[in-house]
Amino acid sequence: MRFIRYAAAVVVSGLVAAGAQAQGWPEQVRFGGFGQGFGKPYGLAVLAIAQGKGFIADEFKGTPVKLSFEYFTGTGPAINEAIANRRLDFAQYGSLPNIVGRANGLPTRIVTSYGYTTIFGVARPDLPVKSFKDLKGRRVAVAKGTVLHWAFLKALEGNGLTLKDVTLLDLATADQLAALTAGSVDAVIGSSVLLSLRDKGLAKVFYSSHDIGPKAAGFGAITVTESFEQRYPEATQRVVRGLVRAAEWLGHEENREEALRIWTRSGVPYPALRDEYAGVALKDVFNPRIDTFFVSQYRDAVAFSQEQKLIRSGIDLQQWFLPRYVDQALDQLGLQGNWPRRDANGKPLEG
Amino acid sequence: MTSHTDARLDALAVPASPARPRAPRAWRAALLPLLLPALALCAWQLAASQGWVAPQILPAPERVWTSFVELLGNGDIAANFAVSLHRIGLGFLLGAALGLATGIALGVSDTVRDYLDPLLRALFAIPSIGWIPILILVFGIAETLKILIIAKAVFVPIVINTAQGIRDIPKAHLETARVLRLRPWTRFIRVIAPASLGPVFSGVRLGLGHAFIALIVVEMLAATEGIGYMMVWGRKQFQTDLVIVGMIVVGLAGFALDRALLAVEQALNRKVPSHG
Repeated sequence: MRFIRYAAAVVVSGLVAAGAQAQGWPEQVRFGGFGQGFGKPYGLAVLAIAQGKGFIADEFKGTPVKLSFEYFTGTGPAINEAIANRRLDFAQYGSLPNIVGRANGLPTRIVTSYGYTTIFGVARPDLPVKSFKDLKGRRVAVAKGTVLHWAFLKALEGNGLTLKDVTLLDLATADQLAALTAGSVDAVIGSSVLLSLRDKGLAKVFYSSHDIGPKAAGFGAITVTESFEQRYPEATQRVVRGLVRAAEWLGHEENREEALRIWTRSGVPYPALRDEYAGVALKDVFNPRIDTFFVSQYRDAVAFSQEQKLIRSGIDLQQWFLPRYVDQALDQLGLQGNWPRRDANGKPLEG
Repeated sequence: MTSHTDARLDALAVPASPARPRAPRAWRAALLPLLLPALALCAWQLAASQGWVAPQILPAPERVWTSFVELLGNGDIAANFAVSLHRIGLGFLLGAALGLATGIALGVSDTVRDYLDPLLRALFAIPSIGWIPILILVFGIAETLKILIIAKAVFVPIVINTAQGIRDIPKAHLETARVLRLRPWTRFIRVIAPASLGPVFSGVRLGLGHAFIALIVVEMLAATEGIGYMMVWGRKQFQTDLVIVGMIVVGLAGFALDRALLAVEQALNRKVPSHG
């Protein structure tokens, strides 16, 4: 009797697996995102919302597909390694490591934007640093090779400075905080994590990318591996639809508080997250479109990476972007009107 | 029966016999150490050409070679290596000087041993990397931090080996020295130093090895130049070939310095009177 039940279970599970195969479902979909260095299994931006509110899980209801989420303390570079090791299908990470990975032959395609993150500049409280221009001749720490590095250069440019005007020190977040406290560096450029130093009175904020606008903010994409996308177009579509639904949910101001609470699971303190998005519409921040603005941001970052010798060869952007999934998702959800297409400067286009 | 055994013993003794020509042994000594690296290189080439590992993770040997030549040509390796060598040099000198002094004190004096040994053992148990967060807060991220971390890494094996080397000197040597009423300095120079030279130098060579480990650790954590930083930068750029070039440079440099120390040890050994 027991044997028959066991045999039946094997047959049934075999049939389910075969069914899954026939419908073209992957056994599991593996997501990766940048972590915040606090060792928490949660992240930020759209992916964290899609995970926390179950938007992607909803898309796979009734299928045998399992979802797994992993957030990497080593951020972008570590995610590139994980993709190369075939450990991830989808990944949310910054544009600069996106570019570095792709330029080195990593088989990724960009399916949607993860929105943008605010970049902050903080300085030692005893220094007369009031704006970016005051950085001239000072020692500034930034994590090179990340999107923060790009944003730092953007902000220098925007203030009429060049790299020659400052001493750049490449430090990881934890070392930046220690170095600033010890007085080894005068200023740090980074994400909202830096605001916790401000709250402890160890640093003062002299710059936020809000000063310049979305063009100076940190940005990046959610990528899918080429092999996954080719093998499972339907699963890819559902993932992107889940992400678009998460972005749409974020756009409703009444959800802001809940979104901030979900993001605090990453270990970033609530006040830091609150201030990061204070005064900006989350709907604008989390525009999922691959439009002229998004592409031009990437074009800019590719040129920057080549200038900085981060990459040896250019990237064919046409080959890299895969806007069809996000466009279809907007159609299917009736959200075409929700986000306007933007021009290269981030201004909404008419119609 | 007896002759049979003798013949066997002779056969066994042959390889060590000085009557044999030395050339084949020299060849062996030169070639055998290269065998495993050669096999590893073959396996590496095979893994790369068969695509067993993604090229982003393990680039082909010729890719690494190209990068090596390129970095050598544009002076990147030389510039970074000079910075690293400077750090190693200062850290090693500081660590070795303090280590030898402390080790000798621990070796010759029971009082010093009673005072310091437990404390040092406890401090030695903390790995170098564990010191970094607190040292950054005190010294910042400038050169001082790196040199101190390297010095600490060098200090530990030298103290342990020096103290132990002196403690292990046969009692008879020291007895003789006492009977001869040698003055402390003469006793140290004529008896203690020569008799403990072997273990002390093992400690120094071990210390140099630890110095390289510490160097790479500090350069990976808090630096903007040096071979260790070049490796981190390679990882950030997702160019594993840079990382491997760094590994090769560090490996070769470590090997060369170790050989140099060995030569110094042998030269010293020839100078001092034998105690066989």
